[in-house]
Amino acid sequence: MTQEYELCVSSSFRNLGQIAEFVAERARQAGLDEAQVFDVQMAVDEACTNSMEHAYGGREDGLVRVCCYVEGEDFVVRVTDYGASFDPSAVPKPDLAAPLEKRATGGLGLFFMRELMDQVDFRAHPTEGNTVIMRKRRKRRSP
Amino acid sequence: MEIKKSRFKRCDLLALQGRFDSSTAPELERALRASLDDGVFHLVVDMGQVEYFGSAAIRALVAAYKECRRWNRGDVYLAGLNDHIRHVFELAGLLPVMKVYEDSTAAVGNF
Repeated sequence: MTQEYELCVSSSFRNLGQIAEFVAERARQAGLDEAQVFDVQMAVDEACTNSMEHAYGGREDGLVRVCCYVEGEDFVVRVTDYGASFDPSAVPKPDLAAPLEKRATGGLGLFFMRELMDQVDFRAHPTEGNTVIMRKRRKRRSP
Repeated sequence: MEIKKSRFKRCDLLALQGRFDSSTAPELERALRASLDDGVFHLVVDMGQVEYFGSAAIRALVAAYKECRRWNRGDVYLAGLNDHIRHVFELAGLLPVMKVYEDSTAAVGNF
C-alpha cells in the first residue's frame, strides 16, 4: 500500500484553492501529465463543491477530507464529508442536445467528475460519512 | 482572481485572471450582471489569464449568454481559451455554440 496524503479543511468555498494546490501537487508526484492534473483538479473541485454546497447546505462548519494515493496504475482521490448524503442517480444529466438557450444548468459538477476521471464511485455510510472515490489511470511512460 | 472591465463603443470586455471556482464565481456573476443591467448585451470574455473555470463559473457565463441572445439582441464572445479550458467547454457542449477568438482584440473587432 503506497502512502496516503490527506488534507482536511472546513466546508468553506474559500478552501477550494488550497484543495486544488494539494491535489495538483500529489497528482504531479504520481506522474500524471499536465492535462491529467488539470482533469483531476477539476473533478476534485466539483466533488468538494458538492460536499460544501449540498451535503453541508452551504454551512462552513463541516469537515471535508481529501485523500490522495496511488493504487496500481491509478491515482486515486477520495473526498469525504459528514453531511447529508445524496443519490447521484437522482441528479439529471445535462441535456447537451438541447440548444444552449434552453438548457437547464443543473448537474454539471457531477457530469465533469464522470467525464474527466476514469472511474467515479459513491459510498454513503451512517458514521463514516459520504465518500466519492475518483480514479485517474496513470499513462505508461514509453520505454 | 481579478476581473477588469473595459467599455468599448460596441461591447464590454471582461478580462478574467486567476481561479474561478465556487468562491469566486459570484464575482463573475456580478460583473456580468452589471453589464447587462447597463443594457450592454455584447460581451467579450477574455479567458487568456484564467487558471481554472469550474461549473459555477460556467453557469454564470451561460446565464449571461442566454440573456444576451434573447431576441437576438447580443452575444458573448470568448477569447484566449487554453487547451484545458477549451476541452472542458467542448465537453459541456458550449462549443461551437459560443464563438471563440484567438484573442480579445479579434473578438472586440468582430462586434
